[in-house]
Amino acid sequence: MTVGVVVDMMLGLALVALSLRVVTGGSLFRDIVLFILFGLLVALSWARLGAPDLALAEAAIGAGLTGALMLMAYRSIGADTEERPVRRRPGVALVVAVLTGSLVAVIGLAALGIERVPDAAGDAVLEALPGTGLGNAVTGVLLVFRGLDTMLEMAVLLVALLGAWTVLGDARPGRVHRVDRRTPLVGSLLTVVAPITLLVAVHLLLAGTDAPGGAFQAGAVLTGCGVLMVLTGTLRPTAVAGFATRLLVVAGLAAFVLVGAGAGFVGHAPMTLTGTWAVYLIETAMMLSIALTMTLLFARARGLRGEGS
Amino acid sequence: MNGAMETVGLVLVIAGCVFYAAGTIGLLRFPDVYSRLHALTKADNQGLLLVCLGLAVLAGSVQVAFLLIVVWSVGLVAAAVSAHLIARHARHAGEPHASRETER
Repeated sequence: MTVGVVVDMMLGLALVALSLRVVTGGSLFRDIVLFILFGLLVALSWARLGAPDLALAEAAIGAGLTGALMLMAYRSIGADTEERPVRRRPGVALVVAVLTGSLVAVIGLAALGIERVPDAAGDAVLEALPGTGLGNAVTGVLLVFRGLDTMLEMAVLLVALLGAWTVLGDARPGRVHRVDRRTPLVGSLLTVVAPITLLVAVHLLLAGTDAPGGAFQAGAVLTGCGVLMVLTGTLRPTAVAGFATRLLVVAGLAAFVLVGAGAGFVGHAPMTLTGTWAVYLIETAMMLSIALTMTLLFARARGLRGEGS
Repeated sequence: MNGAMETVGLVLVIAGCVFYAAGTIGLLRFPDVYSRLHALTKADNQGLLLVCLGLAVLAGSVQVAFLLIVVWSVGLVAAAVSAHLIARHARHAGEPHASRETER
């Protein structure tokens, strides 16, 4: 027990120290690297708190994909800002620090005073879970009990992509700095890693019904594969979104809406999922949408095409 | 029997941590990119192997042991390729080589 407490305290202290270094560090590049490290430690903290679903999502999205996106953004702006120290405004920083500090203190104090409510939603979920046919409470909440929230999350992702496309305007797709696949080891990395990521993604998707995992984690892992393929030039960004691309990008949201509306037509309450098949269908569509959207955001493109085509 | 297995597993995990610590010290203390990579990849891969072995012994399940082997193999691939790419980039960018500098 005591060893666990020591580990947790080290984790907590490391998180605070790292977050300080991220905002007060000297160079942009180091800040990004430290932020990725921060994400990994947050994932570890979730694991220590007994929330493997969140740990997986944080490691894959928070540390992995966000890191990749930031490094890509750094690359496109970095050349001229690299060595210039970031200008700090101590006055503004102080005001922000005091305000956020008081906010955290107020929330923390309020949280300390909270007593466990006897009929909390969590207990109700655990009681009702067997009726859903799902073994993983997180998936149950995401798709059944709070399905509308998850559906709107997919809408947010779609809007984010549309926003990025708008900003992109008529510009040619961003030039992705590629690693030549003929570079020793890189081609073999793709050959080895791409099938493994596919396998892991599908496993996470299927495992999500009964164990930690689900569409978000699976989509993030699949995006990892997509990022690798964009970086090695196996997938090339294009300036036009094809029909298949558009279809896949809205698939998650569309599956949610269609299944929900369909349930309404056949006499259930609207947005009811009438069986585990609906969960699998929606999760698969969500995984594909998430993966494609994130890969497109990474590639700064409207579409992707194979190397030869 | 059970106690003995636990001891073996813990010794392996701790030995792995020692390798990790050595790799990290190497990363902090070695003079140039190439030797730092050397410290990181070699020591950390060995550390990962020992930690995985220790955890497999502690878990006492064939399935978990197999998954840990997969984890180690994927870690090996990632470490080899990333170290290679970093070293290659450093060489192309004309990153100085510590020993050559001291010879001059």
